[in-house]
Amino acid sequence: MTTTTTPVTGAINSEWTKFWSVRTTWWSLVSAAVLMLFYAVVVGFSVAYDSEPGMSAAGVVAGGTFYLSQFAVIALSTLFITSEYASGSIRATLQWVPIRNRLLLAKGAVLVPILFVFGVVVAGAGLLVAGLTMQGNAGPMSAGGAVVAMLGLGVYFALLGLLCLGIGTALRSTAGSMVVVFVLLLMLPMVVASLGAEDAVNFFPGFAGVNAMLLPGDLNPIFGGPLPYPPWVGALICAAWSGVALLIGSQVLRKRDA
Amino acid sequence: MITLRGLTKRYGEKTVVDDLSFAIPAGKVTGFLGPNGAGKSTTMRMVLGLDRPTAGEVVVDGKPYAELRHPLREVGALLEAKALHPGRSAGKHLLAMARSNGIPASRVDEVLATVGLSDVAGKRAGQFSLGMGQRLGIAGALLGDPRVLMFDEPVNGLDPDGVRWVRQLMRSLAAEGRTVFVSSHLMSEMQQTADRLVVIGKGKLLADAPVDEFIADNSRGSVSVRLPSPDDVVTLTQRLHVEGATVEQTDDGEVVVHGMSAERVGDLAHEMEIRLHRLAERTASLEQAYMELTASSVEYGTVAA
Repeated sequence: MTTTTTPVTGAINSEWTKFWSVRTTWWSLVSAAVLMLFYAVVVGFSVAYDSEPGMSAAGVVAGGTFYLSQFAVIALSTLFITSEYASGSIRATLQWVPIRNRLLLAKGAVLVPILFVFGVVVAGAGLLVAGLTMQGNAGPMSAGGAVVAMLGLGVYFALLGLLCLGIGTALRSTAGSMVVVFVLLLMLPMVVASLGAEDAVNFFPGFAGVNAMLLPGDLNPIFGGPLPYPPWVGALICAAWSGVALLIGSQVLRKRDA
Repeated sequence: MITLRGLTKRYGEKTVVDDLSFAIPAGKVTGFLGPNGAGKSTTMRMVLGLDRPTAGEVVVDGKPYAELRHPLREVGALLEAKALHPGRSAGKHLLAMARSNGIPASRVDEVLATVGLSDVAGKRAGQFSLGMGQRLGIAGALLGDPRVLMFDEPVNGLDPDGVRWVRQLMRSLAAEGRTVFVSSHLMSEMQQTADRLVVIGKGKLLADAPVDEFIADNSRGSVSVRLPSPDDVVTLTQRLHVEGATVEQTDDGEVVVHGMSAERVGDLAHEMEIRLHRLAERTASLEQAYMELTASSVEYGTVAA
């Protein structure tokens, strides 16, 4: 028997193998990419034939993320933990990795790099398609703007994955977790905005994620207003939400019987 | 060696496992018996750290399960065969399992061959029959070549060949000096497989003994009698009571006599000119001993509740 593998790297290797050995993973990643490209094509052509100069390619990618692409990532990340409870395989998994926080760490360590790279690639493809379809009518975007859009989406997908992992670990149910995530990303900010606190929406994870993909001067593709803060602040806000979700998930995972 | 010390699990008011203390020795097959709801599975889950004990502790070779550095190399367990993702292939399931504990990937093919699932390694586990699922679960238990093995109802869903195979596997694992702890509701199976028995009822320890000793301690020899006339049943029963025997009537009209030899029952009947259609000594099986023991535990439980 080899003894070189530490328990932590073993747990990560195991979760990596599990991640890539179910169809859900492939379907979700393909869906997220297709949804982004679909949005880029549709919005791109509508900008191209508009009389006024439209939004930037980065704005199109941010809109595609918020309205469509992120939902496939939410499903993927939530199912990564809740399918274990649905099938009962959590009891096998915890036999393999009995330290509860080590399991959560391993799942996070698998989600973060995969979703980061995936986000960068999807954003790059979205920028390319949006640029091609908008032709000359695109709003201005610097090279730095393209880099921020790509890194921003990578960071947002990775942090969104952790948010879903934390909530899924705390609630254990697929449907319940997804509802909570949707409420947090969409419904709650809308309610808050309708009550008059419109600036507060930028502190919810979904809007913060969009803001993390755009540079000051870009228009917010959701509201059309100016951006409230630089992209790194958006990333920090997302990280704070994910951190809180993981803390709650970790508490539940350690305290409750499997 | 698995050691339980005062192990207790309560869910609210209900005590599922009640102050269990016993040790499961290495080199033997220890059968774990009890009626449904006796707390067997909960006990096994606590051994693996899946459920947290309300009181007491359980250690494997001196350590709580969660403190084992590579637990699958020390403890192999089959709890629920279907506790796996239905969309993942059997081979990938075992591969993920191997990687979690730094077990070489070559072990996956070895254990698949051991349980006879090599041909279906690429098949999704959700499409497995109950018996194939059990075999896959056993493959998982063997993966890390552990010194301690636990099986919850391992022959569930297996065909007769499979049952015989599991029996031989348990015996050979114990013969190699490993600790083998098997729960089953099939008493006859335990009689052929186990060296020792641990019996629980309502979460309480009822017996912890070698199989032979368990049968001797928990069963009384009895005599079954069949009489053609219901009147004679009454007459003979009265007489047997006078002679100090205890008598019970079974549903199929037989009279079961405890505390008296078949010869003496026959002599008494002859003396009273009562016709008998059957007179037979009943030898205690593990099944009977177990039924008698747990029946009383159920009674106590009802009174207590």
